[in-house]
Amino acid sequence: MIQYFSIILMLIGIFGLLIDRNILKLIVSLNVFEIGLNLFIVSIGFVNNGIAPILTANNSSSNLNFVDPLPQALVLTSIVIGLGITSLGLAFARKIYKEYNTFDLNEMGGNN
Amino acid sequence: MNLQILLIAIPLLLAFLSLLLKKQSNNLLLVAGVMNVAFLTIIQKGTTVIGGFQPPFGITLVVDNYSFMALVVLNILFLTTILMSRNSIEEYGSVLLVAMAGLNGMILTGDIFNLFVFLEITSITAYILASKNNNYKNAFHYLVIGTLGSGLFLFGIALLYGMFGTLNMHDLSIRIADVDSAVIVLPTFMIFIGLAVESKLMPFSSWVKGVLGNADDIVAPLIAGSYAATSLFVFGRLFSQVLVIDSSLKILLLTITVVTLVLGEFAAFSKSKIKEILLFSSIGQAGLVATLFVSGLVLPAVLQLINNVFSKVVLFTITGKIAKDTDTDEIAELRGIFADHKIIGVSFTIASLSLLGLPLFFGFYSKINVMFGLFSLNIYLIPALILFSTIIEGAYFIRMLLNLWNTGEEGEKSKLEYKTDKIVSFSKYKKIGVLVISIVIVLMGIFPSLLLDNLYGDKTLLNENNPEYIFEIKGGM
Amino acid sequence: MKKVLAFILVAILGYFMITGLMTAQEFSTYGNVNLDEKISRNFIDKDVNGKSDEIIYGQTSNPETGSANYVTSIIANYRIFDTLGEVTVLFVSALGVSLLFGKNTKKYNFYESNFILKTASKMIFGLILVVGIYIFVHGHLTPGGGFPGGAMIASSILLMYLADNEFKANINKFKQAESLSGSLILVIGLLGIVTSGYFFYNFLPTGTVGETFSAGIIPIIYTLIGLKVGSELSGVIYNFMLEGGEQ
Repeated sequence: MIQYFSIILMLIGIFGLLIDRNILKLIVSLNVFEIGLNLFIVSIGFVNNGIAPILTANNSSSNLNFVDPLPQALVLTSIVIGLGITSLGLAFARKIYKEYNTFDLNEMGGNN
Repeated sequence: MNLQILLIAIPLLLAFLSLLLKKQSNNLLLVAGVMNVAFLTIIQKGTTVIGGFQPPFGITLVVDNYSFMALVVLNILFLTTILMSRNSIEEYGSVLLVAMAGLNGMILTGDIFNLFVFLEITSITAYILASKNNNYKNAFHYLVIGTLGSGLFLFGIALLYGMFGTLNMHDLSIRIADVDSAVIVLPTFMIFIGLAVESKLMPFSSWVKGVLGNADDIVAPLIAGSYAATSLFVFGRLFSQVLVIDSSLKILLLTITVVTLVLGEFAAFSKSKIKEILLFSSIGQAGLVATLFVSGLVLPAVLQLINNVFSKVVLFTITGKIAKDTDTDEIAELRGIFADHKIIGVSFTIASLSLLGLPLFFGFYSKINVMFGLFSLNIYLIPALILFSTIIEGAYFIRMLLNLWNTGEEGEKSKLEYKTDKIVSFSKYKKIGVLVISIVIVLMGIFPSLLLDNLYGDKTLLNENNPEYIFEIKGGM
Repeated sequence: MKKVLAFILVAILGYFMITGLMTAQEFSTYGNVNLDEKISRNFIDKDVNGKSDEIIYGQTSNPETGSANYVTSIIANYRIFDTLGEVTVLFVSALGVSLLFGKNTKKYNFYESNFILKTASKMIFGLILVVGIYIFVHGHLTPGGGFPGGAMIASSILLMYLADNEFKANINKFKQAESLSGSLILVIGLLGIVTSGYFFYNFLPTGTVGETFSAGIIPIIYTLIGLKVGSELSGVIYNFMLEGGEQ
């Protein structure tokens, strides 16, 4: 069930990217898309009745039923990449505002 | 054996250090470029295991015939571009060092998630380079479309992991060969969209006009040369070895790429600015190369790709400098500009005639290979479309060349009073650089076997029955 | 009209994705994942390079990676090349931001705050800094690691900038810290080539699972990553607060 929910989040993000004309809203839609994607990747690794993949004093053996740790490592990388792109996008947005004095793509004219 | 990792690690180390030594960053860039080309002369084929963990659990770097050719093309083009346009680098030296590391990493890696990470590094450097000279709105458009494409690429990777449980490309190719190809329709389509954005295929190429149309003489040859070569080489690696499909999805992908070819050439015919003509020609050529890769013809695709990127580097460097000095690239305002710069004009002419595929140039050899390859698969529609688009290419290139050389209206004697009065100055690095590349194109056209035999021993690039990955999978999974 | 077209396109894509997901035979359904078919089995048993016994917390000594946190052992040991790429992504984004805003000189001044806010923020600043450092130093024992720890350090700097207009951090020191820690990470990797021929080989002894000083080079790499990410994000925050000075 959670996998379909995360796909719907991704689709909402893509819909926002096609519709929005405000630059800040485009960046927010991009973030919604990335959240849905990361949620989907984590959900691939779930094992029924599994526990978190850390050895502690309570769960001290490696033969217990752990969830899959590899998708969690992939998602960590993906979140950081999303952060880098968001910061670059916001820097571009500020430079565009300084040149055109608006955030709305329709008022800027040109081709987009 | 460890030289493969130094191709990536040395530019990256110099990039980190260049923050401390800001004034030397351009020199560090030259050092890294020269070292990479020097390493390529002594590199050996094989795989490097990172961290001592055997594949498919660890990450490997692979050098076989295919990636060796890709590395040679990429590093030589990168170094040449930097040498020719050194004055335009300004403060972007550190970004170019990271770009070099990222491009080499994309070709060398043997793990599909690692490919995604390096694709992101390369894309972010492309966004930063695209925003040079206050081109922020188009760079933002590129950022949005590029991030959407990479996100769908990651979605495809996640689906492949959920299905097959491994991330190593060789291991994936073995497991995919065991199942029916209808299973991997959705991941293949997602990965195709992800790579299509970077490779300039048609419905996703709306960023090309804004970015390449306003680029100066170092960004344009990089994006149309090195970046295009790398993304198409990676496309070929994935679609001819890992994700082999033979169902209805193949027809859909072939439709997209062939439509890109035809529409790209048509669009180039209708433009009047040099840069726009060249960028739409790049889009069309990318569609042609992608068609050949999806059909399974690897060697003709690689030859066509090499021809395209070498010519585009020459053409974009010259055009970029003209646009930078005269603030325009309309053909009507630049009539007869080559009359004062004969060396530049001759190189420009050689590069465009090679793109057309006239005999005596490398383009002829590659197009003959393409035609024979397609005929051997009994496909007749695509060669007809290729010939048709070549005719259109010929029309706009010849028209452009005539206008740039002659100083009068068509059909009249050249009159000096119609010549443009724009002044352009080319540095001697540019003149030497474009002349050398043009001579290489002519030499490769006359003696093609000279180049190809030196690059790889036997004449097979990717042999499906005997892949050249030289390692063994740890047994008993 | 455009909204209707976009909705149809997204609906087609969604239908394609969801039916592709539901009908794929190989794709294991939610929760029914069998770890024995995936490569994660060897990551959990820590026997990638050879057979080993069951790993017990506090008793097994010198296992393959030595880290009690399996996700850390994947990120910082098995797939460390991906982590290097991730660090580079952050580096190049921060570089891009500083290139775009580098010519600005004047710092933006926020609304002047009162005495209580300034004093209280100084107290909390130290607490957040210590928690951040704790998280990345213990990356191999508890969840977290270099990236969240570095983000916490940057958020403490952001707190001080927002609360106090006279707070000045030395940005040059941040740039030097970022550059040095990044180069040190690569030098450790190249040292692996020198000692045993593999890039990023774990050449320190891996100790007992669960001790603070265990897991070889993993705590060192996470500390360096934490410092690098913290100073990078602080630099990005500072760049966004500059204005003026162009044209």
